[in-house]
Amino acid sequence: MATKRTKSNTKHGSNGHRSRNGSAQASQSPVDSGLRSYSIPDYRLEHPDFTVRQAVEKDKDGTEHVRYEVTGDLSTPVPPIRDSKYLDRKQCIEIYRYMLLNRKMEIGLENLYKQGKVVGGVYFGLGQEACSCASAYALDQDDWFAPMIRNQGALLVRGFRAADTMMQYMAKADSPTKGRDGTSHFGDIEKRNMVSPISMLGDLIPVLSGVALGARLQGRNIAALTWIGDGGQSTGVTYEGINFAAVQKLGLVLVVESNLWAYSTPSEMQYRVKDLAERSIGYGIPGVIVDGTDACQVYDAARDAVERAHRGEGPTMIEAKMMRMKGHAIHDAAAYVPKPMFDFWKKRDPIARFENYLVKEKKWLTVKENAELISEVERVIEAEREIAVNSPMPTPESAEGGVFCEDGCHEIKPKYGMPKVKKGTGGFKQTEAAAHLK
Amino acid sequence: MQLTYLEAIRQGIWEEMDRDPTVFCLGEDIGIYGGAFKVTDGFIDRFGPERVIDTPIAESAIVGAAFGASLTGMRPVAEFQFMDFIGCAFNQISNMVAKTHYLWGAPAPLVLRGPSGGYVHGGPFHSQNPEMWFVHNPGLKVICPATPYDAKGLIKAAIRDNNPCIFFEHKYLYRRIKGEVPAEDYVVPIGKARLAREGRDLSIITYAAMVHTALEAAEVLLSEGIDLEILDLRTVSPLDREAIARTVKKTNKVIILHEHARTGGLAGEIVAIINEEAFDDLDGPIVRIAGLDSAIPFSPPQEEHYLPKVSDVVREARRLKAY
Repeated sequence: MATKRTKSNTKHGSNGHRSRNGSAQASQSPVDSGLRSYSIPDYRLEHPDFTVRQAVEKDKDGTEHVRYEVTGDLSTPVPPIRDSKYLDRKQCIEIYRYMLLNRKMEIGLENLYKQGKVVGGVYFGLGQEACSCASAYALDQDDWFAPMIRNQGALLVRGFRAADTMMQYMAKADSPTKGRDGTSHFGDIEKRNMVSPISMLGDLIPVLSGVALGARLQGRNIAALTWIGDGGQSTGVTYEGINFAAVQKLGLVLVVESNLWAYSTPSEMQYRVKDLAERSIGYGIPGVIVDGTDACQVYDAARDAVERAHRGEGPTMIEAKMMRMKGHAIHDAAAYVPKPMFDFWKKRDPIARFENYLVKEKKWLTVKENAELISEVERVIEAEREIAVNSPMPTPESAEGGVFCEDGCHEIKPKYGMPKVKKGTGGFKQTEAAAHLK
Repeated sequence: MQLTYLEAIRQGIWEEMDRDPTVFCLGEDIGIYGGAFKVTDGFIDRFGPERVIDTPIAESAIVGAAFGASLTGMRPVAEFQFMDFIGCAFNQISNMVAKTHYLWGAPAPLVLRGPSGGYVHGGPFHSQNPEMWFVHNPGLKVICPATPYDAKGLIKAAIRDNNPCIFFEHKYLYRRIKGEVPAEDYVVPIGKARLAREGRDLSIITYAAMVHTALEAAEVLLSEGIDLEILDLRTVSPLDREAIARTVKKTNKVIILHEHARTGGLAGEIVAIINEEAFDDLDGPIVRIAGLDSAIPFSPPQEEHYLPKVSDVVREARRLKAY
């Protein structure tokens, strides 16, 4: 159950991005003796307080336009990185390197797009690299994951090559799906334990719950990590999937990426609770809030959730607060986002913050070592780009086949060992029970 | 052994769970209650609550969880209380499960099963035949047995298959028909039709409960000297094109009979197959007998009017014979 307290924690009166309240007052009600209230651990070192709403604006000619307007305090200083409970120097640097790879890969993709080499659009996780990389880094080898479109960094952490994603975007013959799908839409059930995402949002949540169920039937409690945006969590299947994991106590680790914009729609128009982590109370599972631009906070919360999953204690919801720093995809200039919001979150760039932490605060990297690391990452991405660009396009005929798993195509075997089954003593007897609709 | 259609399915799943520890069941009210139609009655006592899982009322979660478990090498058998509710899980089935092998090469050995079909006055949400929603989804096998023998052999084949199979159990047949089912282990191959009756004058191509409607019509028509051949498709996706062509080449006249709505129904697809495989063998127009293009109404006189009847088959067979 979520942490139970006698009084809800409302001292900062904010959902982290804006002032708005759910309906959790009632502490003075004369009939409050039976009322319960809950709190959500919030590891952030700042609580940004602003609101987006639709407002009418007049242009020079006096024509009225509806625009998004942000109100609140956007001048607050950038907080420090919270020291991790778990991560050592080497691990922090490794996560930082994955974040750099994530960003440089996406810059590479943007360039490939501008060179006309990408089929379709490009999706970016700019501003969300800490969330993607540090959460995936919290998984153990045998755990599973399924990325959403902005979690391309998680693929790198779990051992895929940047060339894999680049070839997907270029629809190449050697891409993991051999040209059949693009972006981060691929998977690997053999080695890297990744379920391929689909474009519809929320559908991975019951699937990852099922992965954890399958492992448990084979005697293993694993963690199954996936992400959902503040937009995607509006879907009904999100509810179904989390609730299923909660009821069955499955090791789902759900990172809710509150990145403030779902395509062009602000989170104010997606949900009414203060913080999405509050939803965890409704599911009867723990929920926590972290600063999604702080890799240490993301890692610690994810690691706690992973360990909880390994102990067989069930799912956890982690809300990571940040902002999507580009449009929905490359075609979208995100002109609907009020500029002060970009300015506010640009100062909280997850890579710049982590770099400052490692180089200046902790002095775990010298300026020179940092520069070397950055150029090493750039060389890796350049080499990956070469591999990806040089892969041929698939033949037209390769569109055919593979719809079904035919004889000899795959051997189905339990991944963690044959389930040990206990059987009751009763044999098969015909049923005589009454049934619905005869 | 004589078993009802329901008992044959029940025994098939039971035997597969006994044989293979990776097989497990999940669905609504399937545990202690044994399922709305009692297909899993007694399973929880034998196989335990770990392998006979009562779920929340959440069809997308049921399918999603079954799919996720299948990725780890399990063989889940998920029950829909009524196949009408499969629409609640449509996105999981169509976009997640069906496309998975084609797109990223992951096999999904799962079975989605449950009761479908009319003739029991279940009304518009408990009588549907939604198989066509999935016939138009490459990557799924769609199975609709008509006899206890086939029901048991096909459910076992579906559980052993490495692909997602949707298994439609006709609820009108559950306890109405009995048939001989061998005691030893057997499977019926998916994708193969069978001749339910051999005849020389014209062919009825059909499946599930309509096989029995056609058989009754054949008895009536025999006294008039009309000898029907009845092809029971057994699997509606993939269709047995060869068996369809073979019967058309033999009798040269065809009636296609199904319960679901006429427009966009399976008959249209079979007509196209006949055009492709056996056009020159036709001696008359292909006739469709199907449900109306509406929801299935509740009240018995209305439902009877909506659904194909023996008299419809008799009438159309006479007309086509005379053509």
